[in-house]
Amino acid sequence: MSMNSENRNEENNYVACPQYEAALEDQLQGALRGPEAVNLAGHLATCAGCRGALEDAAVSARLLAIAEPAPDPGAGFSRIVMARIRQELQTNEGKSIWSPFVAVAWRFAATAAFALVLLVSFDLGRHSQWVADQPIVAENRVPEIAPERPSLPASRDDVILMMADTSHGKQ
Amino acid sequence: MAATASALSLAVSRREKGEEERQLVQRAQSGEEAAFEELIRRHQQRVFGLVSGILRRREDVEDVVQQVFLKVFVSLKRFDQRAAFSTWLYKISVNECWDYLRKKKVRPLVYEADLSEEQVSRLDGVVSADQPASSSDRAEARDLLERMMEKLPEQDRELLVLKEVEGFSVQELAEILNLNVNTVKVRLFRARARLMDVYRRRLHSKPEQQVEGKEG
Repeated sequence: MSMNSENRNEENNYVACPQYEAALEDQLQGALRGPEAVNLAGHLATCAGCRGALEDAAVSARLLAIAEPAPDPGAGFSRIVMARIRQELQTNEGKSIWSPFVAVAWRFAATAAFALVLLVSFDLGRHSQWVADQPIVAENRVPEIAPERPSLPASRDDVILMMADTSHGKQ
Repeated sequence: MAATASALSLAVSRREKGEEERQLVQRAQSGEEAAFEELIRRHQQRVFGLVSGILRRREDVEDVVQQVFLKVFVSLKRFDQRAAFSTWLYKISVNECWDYLRKKKVRPLVYEADLSEEQVSRLDGVVSADQPASSSDRAEARDLLERMMEKLPEQDRELLVLKEVEGFSVQELAEILNLNVNTVKVRLFRARARLMDVYRRRLHSKPEQQVEGKEG
């Protein structure tokens, strides 16, 4: 904020020295006493900015004195508030502090139950399909042809014959 | 000597009042509705002032004040009386107002038109008059002041209204708004300067002349 020699800002309003603003407010309220009051008086004698700002502040106080405080709500207000409190308490009587959690828990339970029903019905569907398919499977079953187990050589001759048989054509 | 005696009696009466209120709060904490109703009666005027100082719309004030007392009633058992009941109550009121403004997303009222020459001279007359102005002039001046206040930043407006109109002390404002006492004084002083700036810019076509006149 640029200021000229008389401590005025761009809008040509007086600007107080920042270190004296709190004391100026006290002075305006008539709350400044002792050495602080003497100190401020000395400063005001030499500072046009603070002097002007203090005068402005005094005008602002006169301006604000025009305003009226909020009207008294009246003697019946406390009764209205108490009635509202009782009503709210009655509304909340049935509700415990766990009510929100209970509501969430019920929602979870409902979702889980739905998922379970879906799973069971899917499983039942698959099972009934399997049962229906059994006769067809049985009909179309190809008899299993098990390969004959090679018999063990019973004698020395059998061993020689087997060796001759496996090495046949390798030479 | 007389001044010291009166200050002493004031301090004693204040302490007695504080003790009385302490007991009232304790009774209300133990569930005595009549005690809580008495607390409402004692503080409703100031809470009304505080809430209407922050909220611009008068029609919302009563509802918010009721909500404040409801919250106080619900959380009264947790109040440990380390601070004054009034300070605790005012803090709840301020928070409730800010919550309300946030929820409603209330925008500042904007007056498009500036003040007319006639309005200017009336307001000037009311501010500088030595004799009391007529009630209609004062009513109009109040309306004009309201319009000027709307031009101020929210924080400035709140501080000025609470201090100058609703009569809260600097100490109380510091406690309610969680600010240092000196910060409140500085903010108040700057808010006054900004109000004067609005006053000059809105009311006087030649602000330089007004300033020079005052210097002379």
